[in-house]
Amino acid sequence: MPRTIKKGSVVVAVGTKKGGFLFHSSDRRKWSVAGPFMVGNAVYHMILDPRDGRTVYGAAPMWSEPWGPAVYRGRAGEVMKPTQTAPKFKEGSDLAVTRIWHIEPGPSDEPETIYAGVEPAALFRSDDRGGTWQDFEALNYHPTRKEWQPGNGGLCLHSVLVDPRNPKHLVIGISAVGAFESRNGGRSWTMENQGVRAGFMPNKYPEWGQCVHKLAWDASGDGSIFQQNHCGTYHRGPDGGGWTEVTKGLPSEFGFPIAAHPHAEHTAFVAPLVGAENRVFPKGQMAVWKTTNRGRSWRRSTKGLPGPGAYLGVLREGMTVDANDPVGVYIGTNTGQLFASRDEGESWKMLADFLPPILSVSASVAG
Amino acid sequence: MVPEVSPDAIARSGVLVRIPPALRSYTNGQDEVVLEATDVAAVLRALNTSFPGIRDRVVDEAGRRRPYVNVFVNEEIVMGSLPEAKLKAGDTVHILPSVAGG
Repeated sequence: MPRTIKKGSVVVAVGTKKGGFLFHSSDRRKWSVAGPFMVGNAVYHMILDPRDGRTVYGAAPMWSEPWGPAVYRGRAGEVMKPTQTAPKFKEGSDLAVTRIWHIEPGPSDEPETIYAGVEPAALFRSDDRGGTWQDFEALNYHPTRKEWQPGNGGLCLHSVLVDPRNPKHLVIGISAVGAFESRNGGRSWTMENQGVRAGFMPNKYPEWGQCVHKLAWDASGDGSIFQQNHCGTYHRGPDGGGWTEVTKGLPSEFGFPIAAHPHAEHTAFVAPLVGAENRVFPKGQMAVWKTTNRGRSWRRSTKGLPGPGAYLGVLREGMTVDANDPVGVYIGTNTGQLFASRDEGESWKMLADFLPPILSVSASVAG
Repeated sequence: MVPEVSPDAIARSGVLVRIPPALRSYTNGQDEVVLEATDVAAVLRALNTSFPGIRDRVVDEAGRRRPYVNVFVNEEIVMGSLPEAKLKAGDTVHILPSVAGG
């Protein structure tokens, strides 16, 4: 680890339309920044691997858009380079990866394993830190695939949940197809969309076709999940069997990110926007909403956030939490501001302005 | 590693491939490579044998040329399929990103 990023520091990895940045702080009061990394590239996702606190992964095109997507890797604070290969569909499928949307670390006892969610929607796994990739055939060539429709951002697999209790338990989200779950390491998958609205379809509650925007584990640790959807906010209990809509109390049904508290069960943060037709915060006031009871009620937080007159938005990877006590919450805007709360979303401070549009925010601790 | 070859040797037996800066990490910094190949698709296969992964940057896994990558033979852009772009000894193949944007 370079001396500029101290061991034990909170590191917030920010992917932007023009490169990635690492904000780091040992006290979450005074922040420094390293970067840009992957210079000039649209960094769709960037993470500091929580398993070693040293390896940074990025999802970005190869140097510039023409050369196709790549997973970048490097030590925190140092130059990041593309890994040997990028995820690829199997020969003869007539499919080709155009963009990597999300990188998810594998379980703690498999430190070389990472997952990649890509466009067109598919999931890949690497057991050598991105050097080579395996295809999840049962999902990636699902019998319904030919009917899958993209959301406005493309047909992207953007959410990957790996159950810390059982790494064979996986949940993924695809826009606009829905959530899928596997309990056998990805050999087979079930669609998990019961109770989720697809207001843009003739049948409002289809088996699949929902536009899931982001998924997050509930800290209850029993497999419960939060979901922000194009059409509402949802919570699913530990045994599956359907989602409960918990939009009531929020200013709209539309938003992109959802971040769950890492320790407190049934607690999550959302950032609702006006709607699909106007993807900015309602009334020009940026706000983060928090629930502590799996969405039965929500509380609005604006202290330190811009507005009125702030007509901006937040993308699906644009909000995250750290694991400190009290938990830090971080949110990046599509107009290039990064905000942090070190009191669990009660108040906010701007860490950076004039960044390129922010595509992703993730937090971890330097090792 | 593909050995460097003199211009005379290229003219006699090989095809010269000019590597764009963005792909030189694959070629260990080499900006030119000489190959024996009878069409552009064969050039990419031969390049990939020496420099694994480089072909994926020009064509995707379905075999389609990436949208903003152009291939020229001498000064002629290849508009058709890559296997149909025939080569002869002494030809130069350029792999270039197109000028995308306004």
